[in-house]
Amino acid sequence: MDADKNEIFTEDQKDILQEIMNIAFGNATADLSEIIDIYVILSVPDIKTISAENLDSYINNLIDLKKNTKIIEQKFFGEYNGSGLLVFPDINDDEISTILDHSDDINSNDSSEQVPVNEILIEIGNILIGACIGKITSLLNTYVTYSPPDIFPSDTSNKVCLSYHTDKDKTGLVMKTTFTFNEKNIEGFLLLLTNDESFDWLKKALGKFMESYL
Amino acid sequence: MIKSILVVDDSPIARKMLIKSLSEHGSYEITEARDGQEGVEKFSTVSPDVTFLDLTMPVLDGYDALIKIKEIDAKAIVIVVTADIQAKSIETVMGSGAFSVIKKPASPEAISGILTKSESKIKKSQG
Repeated sequence: MDADKNEIFTEDQKDILQEIMNIAFGNATADLSEIIDIYVILSVPDIKTISAENLDSYINNLIDLKKNTKIIEQKFFGEYNGSGLLVFPDINDDEISTILDHSDDINSNDSSEQVPVNEILIEIGNILIGACIGKITSLLNTYVTYSPPDIFPSDTSNKVCLSYHTDKDKTGLVMKTTFTFNEKNIEGFLLLLTNDESFDWLKKALGKFMESYL
Repeated sequence: MIKSILVVDDSPIARKMLIKSLSEHGSYEITEARDGQEGVEKFSTVSPDVTFLDLTMPVLDGYDALIKIKEIDAKAIVIVVTADIQAKSIETVMGSGAFSVIKKPASPEAISGILTKSESKIKKSQG
C-alpha cells in the first residue's frame, strides 16, 4: 500500500527520520549481537505516514499472518509516543531456540515448551525495541517510559489491531527496517509506529537535530 | 595532503552532515554518490584521496562496494561510516581493506581525527 497522499512530513524530515532509524537500529543490533552473539544483516529503513484508517490494512498486508508468525509489541510514552513491533513473519520454535541455545527446553516433552521460546522472543524484542527507541530519544533529546513487551498469541487468526489508533482521522508514522539473523535463517522486521499526538514535537525535535549537525 | 574526497551514502542528510564536518576540517573537492554502485563508478572516474562509505545502502551495499573499490585500487583509503557497529560488521570491512570505521552520527572530532590519520598515511606512501 502506498503512503497517504497528504504527507505530513517533508522529504527532508523523512530523510532525517530514515537516517535516525538507521543509526538507532544499527546501535540496537550491536547491543543484541553482544548479548546473544548473533550477526544481524540490516536493510535500508522505510518511512511512511499512513492514516489510521489504512494503518491496520498496511500492517496486516505487510505481516501476512501465519500460524507461526511471532509479533512482539512494546509501547513507549512521552513526548515521543507510539509502539514498537518486532515481527517474525514465518519462524519455527527450533530456529528461535538456537539463538540462545535453549534446545534442551524445546526438545523436551514438557507441554510448557512454548514458554521459553516466547520468553526468548520477548527478550529479543525488549533489547531491539528498547535500544532502538533509546537511541532515537537520545538523538532527539527526550525521554520515554515503556510498557512491558508483550507477544501476540502465536496461534492467532486475528488481524493485528493496535489499540491506540482507533480514531480514523488520525495518522500514524511508520518506520520499518527489515533484518536477517545471519546463519540462522531467521528474517523479520521492526516497525516503529508514532502517534500523531507526537508529530508537532517530532517536527521540532527533527529541526533541532538538523541544527546541531548542519 | 588530501585534496579530493568521495562521500558515498544513500541518505542525503547523512551526506550533508558528513560534508559539513569535512568542511570544518579543511577545503576539499567533494564528490557525492547515492549508493554503492554509483560510489564505485565515481571512485573510478574521480580517484579520490579518501572515500567515506556507508554500509547499509540500496543497489549495492557498502560491503560489496568496498571490495570493488579495493579491486580498482588496493591502496585506496576507505573509511566506513556506519550505524551498523556490530563486531562482525567491523571485522568484515576491516578484513576487506577498510582504513577505519566511524560510528554514525560521526562527530566532527572523529572526522578530524581520521582525516589526520589519512593524511599521515598518504604522506608515508608518498615516501
